[in-house]
Amino acid sequence: MTTSTSAPATAAPQNDGAKKAAVAARTRGLRKVYGSTVAVDRVDLELPEGAVLGMLGPNGSGKTTTIRMLLGLVRPTQGEIELLGKPLPEGAEHVLPHVGALVEGPGFHPFLSGRENLLRCAAFEPLLPSGSVRQAVEDALERVGLAAAAHRRYRGYSLGMKQRLGLAAALLVHRKLIVLDEPTNGLDPAGTREIRRIIADLHAAGTTVLVSSHLLSEVEATCTHVCVLHRGTVVAQGELADLLQAGGSALQVITPDVEAALTALRHAKISARPLEEGLRVELTGTSAPAVVETLVHAGVAVHEATKWKTGLEELFARLTEAEESEHSLSAVDTLDGGNR
Amino acid sequence: MIVDQGVLPTRGGMLVRQLRSELRWMLRRPRTLIGLGGLCLVPIVVGFGVWLATRDEGGGGGAGLEGILRGNGLVLPIFALFLSAGLLLPMVASIWSADGLAGESQHGTLRGLLIAPVSRVRLLVIKFFGLAAMSLFAVTMMAVVGVVSGIAFLGNDGMLTLSGNVLTTGQAVGRIALFVLLITFQMISIGAVGLAISACTEHPLVVQASVMAGFIVFAVLGNLPSLDWLDPFLITTALPGLLDVMRDPMPTEQLWDSTFLAACYLVIGLSLATMRLVTKDS
Repeated sequence: MTTSTSAPATAAPQNDGAKKAAVAARTRGLRKVYGSTVAVDRVDLELPEGAVLGMLGPNGSGKTTTIRMLLGLVRPTQGEIELLGKPLPEGAEHVLPHVGALVEGPGFHPFLSGRENLLRCAAFEPLLPSGSVRQAVEDALERVGLAAAAHRRYRGYSLGMKQRLGLAAALLVHRKLIVLDEPTNGLDPAGTREIRRIIADLHAAGTTVLVSSHLLSEVEATCTHVCVLHRGTVVAQGELADLLQAGGSALQVITPDVEAALTALRHAKISARPLEEGLRVELTGTSAPAVVETLVHAGVAVHEATKWKTGLEELFARLTEAEESEHSLSAVDTLDGGNR
Repeated sequence: MIVDQGVLPTRGGMLVRQLRSELRWMLRRPRTLIGLGGLCLVPIVVGFGVWLATRDEGGGGGAGLEGILRGNGLVLPIFALFLSAGLLLPMVASIWSADGLAGESQHGTLRGLLIAPVSRVRLLVIKFFGLAAMSLFAVTMMAVVGVVSGIAFLGNDGMLTLSGNVLTTGQAVGRIALFVLLITFQMISIGAVGLAISACTEHPLVVQASVMAGFIVFAVLGNLPSLDWLDPFLITTALPGLLDVMRDPMPTEQLWDSTFLAACYLVIGLSLATMRLVTKDS
């Protein structure tokens, strides 16, 4: 898996050929223009089969538009979409039955109960035999924890219950791909945990999942792959672990002798910079024990040494702020490719 | 995990399931039921009113269709439908077409149907079926209520036609059935135009307002003598001709003309709706 920041197009060809069958969804040069607004541009998305892909991006970065194009709801101005091996929109009828989705919040009729709403959805599911429609609805309600409130009108549902019902509709049939647009919106912590559990279950069962979110912790906790969108383009995508690695790891050393430590490290050709109460040592071409050893040998008192884990938040901030100013150029240098 | 049991529905089986679901959805809607109830009140209120007038005056009065209602209960369903076809039935049709696409779009349920997936052409077929079936149901129900209240309030001495002779009850029921079909077709054609507007917006109110405004403008245009040449193209001018079912022998020329005009509106409406729907971003 490649981590690409400037030219995402390079990521796609590498996976052509041998790995072609193992891609659940792929877009190439996707572009959508609304009037004079470019909502999405040059999006080359790759969703490996069996992965949980977290689509990250600030509000208005084109997440939902991309998802709507992936599902054939919106016609792209330009570009190609391949979903479960078939081109869209031509192959929609064949592949969409295998796709469950919750897009732009749950959509249901307020005058019907949760169960009746789901029955209506189920009636339109081609993969559901007529005989098992009712059972499928009950199972889905049970799965999202709505069985007790299923008889109540949708009108009276709380935001969390509405969200659960939307999820239930996506889970009516055993799917190959589940697309969840901001699934934890309006959910309490318990509900959020449940969504995580459901995503984990789906992942364990081999279902490919695409989750969009602006909650970084959410993506970090549930996803295997990440795709970061910013201003309608993909600024980074790849395996979560790779992306975090590419963000560079560092060691935070707490010491009273900052000057001595910096001198010692400079002699050992290890890059470091002072922090408020210690220093940050870049672990490029060296390891934590080697750094501590160098410091101790130089007679520097090391009070504490902690591995500085690059959180998704830091990575995200770097990627999305990178284009704002040229000053942050150096910040993204650590990501291969750097900034455009 | 849901394990598939049983046979997957065929294309045809799927369509039947979808159509049933659509009807079920329309009939569960409170405003549909209120609307149907309101339509049923029309023949009852008219029958009761004429009965009151007859009792007070002891005969005489009234001209035209209303005049022959007296002692002539079987005319009531035709009279009530004719009254409603002017504004009430088009309004109900516009509500159904508005809810069909614009309403679903507004609630976000249209997305769900398209992802299911239902092809956009099939979606329009389903929506048109719902509109047609419900229109036939509403008009038939009005006719049945009309017959019952007509006989109850005004009695049944056969059907006195506009030509002056009397039809037997059997013949009269045939004429009522024909009138039901003609009025239903008019209603559906207006609903089809409504569907075209409905495919362009996600505000049901826009659809209803447009259809109603169009209807009123047409009525005004139809009344301007200088614009007489426009009359054959206005759907509002098609209605009076349908009363020919009350003549004996029945002249069919105007019936065909009116129905042909409605068919034109229907084809144009459905074509526009299809064109809009297949390219629409949802």
